[in-house]
Amino acid sequence: MTRRLLDADVLIAGVASGPALVLDASLSFWGGFDPQQGAIIDVHHPQYRTRVGGTVLFIPASRGSAGTPGGIAEALRNGSGPRAFVLGERDVNIGVGVLVANRIYGLEVPVVRIPAEQMRSIRSGEPVSIDRNGGLSIGA
Amino acid sequence: MLRLSEQDQARLDGHEGPALRFAMETIVAAAEIDRAAELIDIGFAHIDACFYNGRAHLDFVNYLLDAGATLAVPAWTNNGLVSLEDLSLRDPAKSGAMREAHELMQAYVRLGCRPVWTCAPYQLPGRPALGDHIVGSESNAVCFYNSVIGARSNKYGDYLDVCAAITGRVPASKLHLDAGRVAQILFDVRDIDPELRARDLFYHLLGHLIGLDSGAAVPAIVGLPANCGEDDLKAISAAASSSGSVPLFHAIGITPEAPTLEAAFAGGKPARMIEITPADLKRARDELGRDDRSKQLAGIALGTPHFSLTEFERLVTLLGARHIDPRLTFYLTTSRHVYAEAEVRGWCSALQAAGVRIVTDTCTYFSPAVRGLRGKIMTNSAKWAYYAPGMLPVEAVLGSLRECVESAVRGEVVLDDWGDA
Repeated sequence: MTRRLLDADVLIAGVASGPALVLDASLSFWGGFDPQQGAIIDVHHPQYRTRVGGTVLFIPASRGSAGTPGGIAEALRNGSGPRAFVLGERDVNIGVGVLVANRIYGLEVPVVRIPAEQMRSIRSGEPVSIDRNGGLSIGA
Repeated sequence: MLRLSEQDQARLDGHEGPALRFAMETIVAAAEIDRAAELIDIGFAHIDACFYNGRAHLDFVNYLLDAGATLAVPAWTNNGLVSLEDLSLRDPAKSGAMREAHELMQAYVRLGCRPVWTCAPYQLPGRPALGDHIVGSESNAVCFYNSVIGARSNKYGDYLDVCAAITGRVPASKLHLDAGRVAQILFDVRDIDPELRARDLFYHLLGHLIGLDSGAAVPAIVGLPANCGEDDLKAISAAASSSGSVPLFHAIGITPEAPTLEAAFAGGKPARMIEITPADLKRARDELGRDDRSKQLAGIALGTPHFSLTEFERLVTLLGARHIDPRLTFYLTTSRHVYAEAEVRGWCSALQAAGVRIVTDTCTYFSPAVRGLRGKIMTNSAKWAYYAPGMLPVEAVLGSLRECVESAVRGEVVLDDWGDA
């Protein structure tokens, strides 16, 4: 696909780039996610066993347990987490997990939000970069 | 645009020290994500961040303790000791992570939390009242507080719960506001056979279906029997917040903000009506844990969320003078408080003598106490059945409390006839 530009809402500002991983369903980062491996372990999730490390993670939202911020912070701490989050909703749990990890570990992982219909236009594997103002560049 | 009080701003500017600054920065970031107009006071917090999930948890609380953090409101602890998938975590002798999990729990006691270690804090005396603004974290507790008690809490995750307890402030958003509490969709169970509606498992299955089908909408339920109790509503809360993200439901004629359909929907109409059929219940039961008869039953797990005193009473009555088949491992999880209350009545000793292992402070789908729990496990909890197979080498069979007890005594899965369902 050709290169596209999108303008996302910034929830947590930062700069990142990496291959897109587009999740087809929301996910609990506690119980449904192993933060040591950065892997989806929810047997009900369509992308069960997928690893999120090093990706720009497109995810509709988090779900379920209150442990989501902790699962995210731990994955970011040990290096198995995504480089950035692109959400379909203004998700506080993901935002707080990233904010705390950024603060405690001196990281700059961004969290941005785009409308769900834009999310559907992204394919896993496409290169994505995000700037501090929420500018998304997708495709080569 | 977020308006801050003078004190909020002073804390954000660091005038009350680094801990309050960090906590307020986190609250403000959450408020901006939530597009809240202001912050409001809370009176209570249930803390989930004491629940070990890797080194980051310990780094967070130590960061706050080193910065001199103290609590602004009473805060009670959720379950402790998480080990996730890593089986080595289940061997205390080998595991640094186990040590860190203990260290984490102690750190929250040092911070000033009341160590109740339960995912069902609403079963303890001193619970909040209708209309109180609080911080709930564990998903079943948030749903129970909002739905059954009518206290007001968003689903606060790790770290934000602690920052709220330190500042006593939360964003005035979503479920803290009247507008966020209005029912939007209606689940109708009136056509389900009343005999099925009287079974405890019905509430787990209904909760599972509501979680799957609600999305971000606030659901209401019409047709629950007037005598359904807090254990039943706990089951809906736990199941609906496992299969979905349901922080509030209304049960018409039963929960405090839904005396009538009109009240629950604030005079409006449901955007969607979903009729629950016997086939839906059967599907939910099969999805969560259908019995594979070729395999031997290995154990029973009860108490997710933590067993209540009334559940203890039912279990003791159902078991009678019989014993658990010695080939099985039978776990029951509860809080220290309920354990003590049950033991006053002699129930814990009686159950232990019959072969039940009672575990407090934690839950059986992640705890080191369940080392060795593998194979076909029967549970009465949709939440346990939803999560355990992803975290332990187990497959779940879902049954009512009565079915679990009969199976435990016989040493094999015994299921009641559900007719068409």
